[in-house]
Amino acid sequence: MEKIEITLRINEITYQVRVLPNDTLLEVLRDKLDLTGSKEGCDEGVCGSCTVHMDGKPVRSCLTLALEAQDTQIKTVEGLATGDTLSGLQQSFIDHGAVQCGFCTPGMLMSADALLATTPRPDERTIRQGLAGNICRCTGYAKIVTAVAHAGNSQDHCPDCLTQTPDPNARSGSKPNQ
Amino acid sequence: MRLPRFNYLGPNTLEQALAFLSTYRDGAKILAGGTDLLVRMKKGLLTPKTLISLKGLDELAYIRQDKKDGKNGNDCVLIGSKTPIADIIASDLVQQQAPALSQACERIGAITLQHFAGTMGGNILQDNRCQHYNQSQFHRSGRGACHKDGGKICYARQDSDRCNSTCQSDGATALMALDASITLSTKNGERQVDLADFYTNDGIQPFAIEHDELLTQIRIPVQGGKSAYQRLSYRSAIDYPLVCAGVLLIPSISLPTQIGEARIVVGAMGRSPLYMAAASASLKGKTFDDTAAFQKAAKASMDTAAAFAVHNVGSTLEYRCAMAEEMVLQALIEAGKAARATQ
Repeated sequence: MEKIEITLRINEITYQVRVLPNDTLLEVLRDKLDLTGSKEGCDEGVCGSCTVHMDGKPVRSCLTLALEAQDTQIKTVEGLATGDTLSGLQQSFIDHGAVQCGFCTPGMLMSADALLATTPRPDERTIRQGLAGNICRCTGYAKIVTAVAHAGNSQDHCPDCLTQTPDPNARSGSKPNQ
Repeated sequence: MRLPRFNYLGPNTLEQALAFLSTYRDGAKILAGGTDLLVRMKKGLLTPKTLISLKGLDELAYIRQDKKDGKNGNDCVLIGSKTPIADIIASDLVQQQAPALSQACERIGAITLQHFAGTMGGNILQDNRCQHYNQSQFHRSGRGACHKDGGKICYARQDSDRCNSTCQSDGATALMALDASITLSTKNGERQVDLADFYTNDGIQPFAIEHDELLTQIRIPVQGGKSAYQRLSYRSAIDYPLVCAGVLLIPSISLPTQIGEARIVVGAMGRSPLYMAAASASLKGKTFDDTAAFQKAAKASMDTAAAFAVHNVGSTLEYRCAMAEEMVLQALIEAGKAARATQ
């Protein structure tokens, strides 16, 4: 079994790497290309923390062979920001406190980014469906859902959250961020 | 977990793929999406020397309606085996002619597994599962090997002399309810098999497929009926079903307000999706809003399916059996409602 030289197009940059047939895209990204944003969680397609985009669609990089990722446009979480400017979605995750330990965050961001590309203003149900393949084990999904819903708001303090009147019966997902 | 080493073959035509398959036979495995195969390889359940990838075979990714070729002279919907699950969900044709399949596909994996990875053929051919077998190598090394692992023990049913692994395919359950058939191709020709005849009732080797055969096409006859699919699982995404049911209700030709033919299939209970012949027959001549008859058929389905069930996919047996009845009933009510809406 010899190493094969392949070309991968990741975040608009072309990489030449030598891989074995049994190298997954995730292993190549993390171990060979130092793109360690994508995380290895379960490594069997259950947790979603290794999610990257191939041709704009979210895929599990732990279940994708590196060989099979050739000829596609790959985007990892490193490709979301433009230089030092975070994308609206990333900023929204920070503003709404949607990150606790941060391990699931790259996957959440990539799944949410793909969702927002097809559905610019998703409702809560759509967001929850879009993120159904990603697991967060820290706390819950309320703040993540809020962050995705308000991703278009570029302000530090989300105007949607500030103008909302607190509803005592509401679940924490719709509470204003304080 | 590293994948074990293998040789990778990437044929560009179906002919080439079938030639590889006939050369390597059981030393090779077909890699379509990999969501089932690669996970089993990572766990050391399978160590094929060669993987034949279908990535270059876009000729196997299509959904179309065909006029001539259907069963009994009917129209049929043809689906290529490499069609991604996402394409089936998005297809208006499937939505209209085979809603049960559409509903089943929506529940397969998650959005991240439906674009490139999950394929229709792969979903049908996903290996049977058991919570005692689908474990890491380390977990399995702590005890004797089970039947499916090459040993002589069954952890799911004490003293069982055979493997009791469960077929947890959403797609196969829906397709069997829709009376689908599949095309298996070899280098020398092809054969068509009813999905209901495709299963061996052997947990170790659940499918009646030869080593040199490739599943290339799925045919769903268009019979003017309404179908529905229901499933129960712990998690809305990713998880395999604990129990699921697909039903098809076809109106009678002479009396369109009555059911002419019904098909009830219960999945994730046995070694294959289970066609409920008696329960299906009991619905003949009933109206589409006859809830009492639906309840009776659901109860009969549960009674039949319960005999096959083994405690090996999570949850308790009692709960799964009780829910089998509920899944069938809900699917029947949904299909009946859809049928009345078009009358």
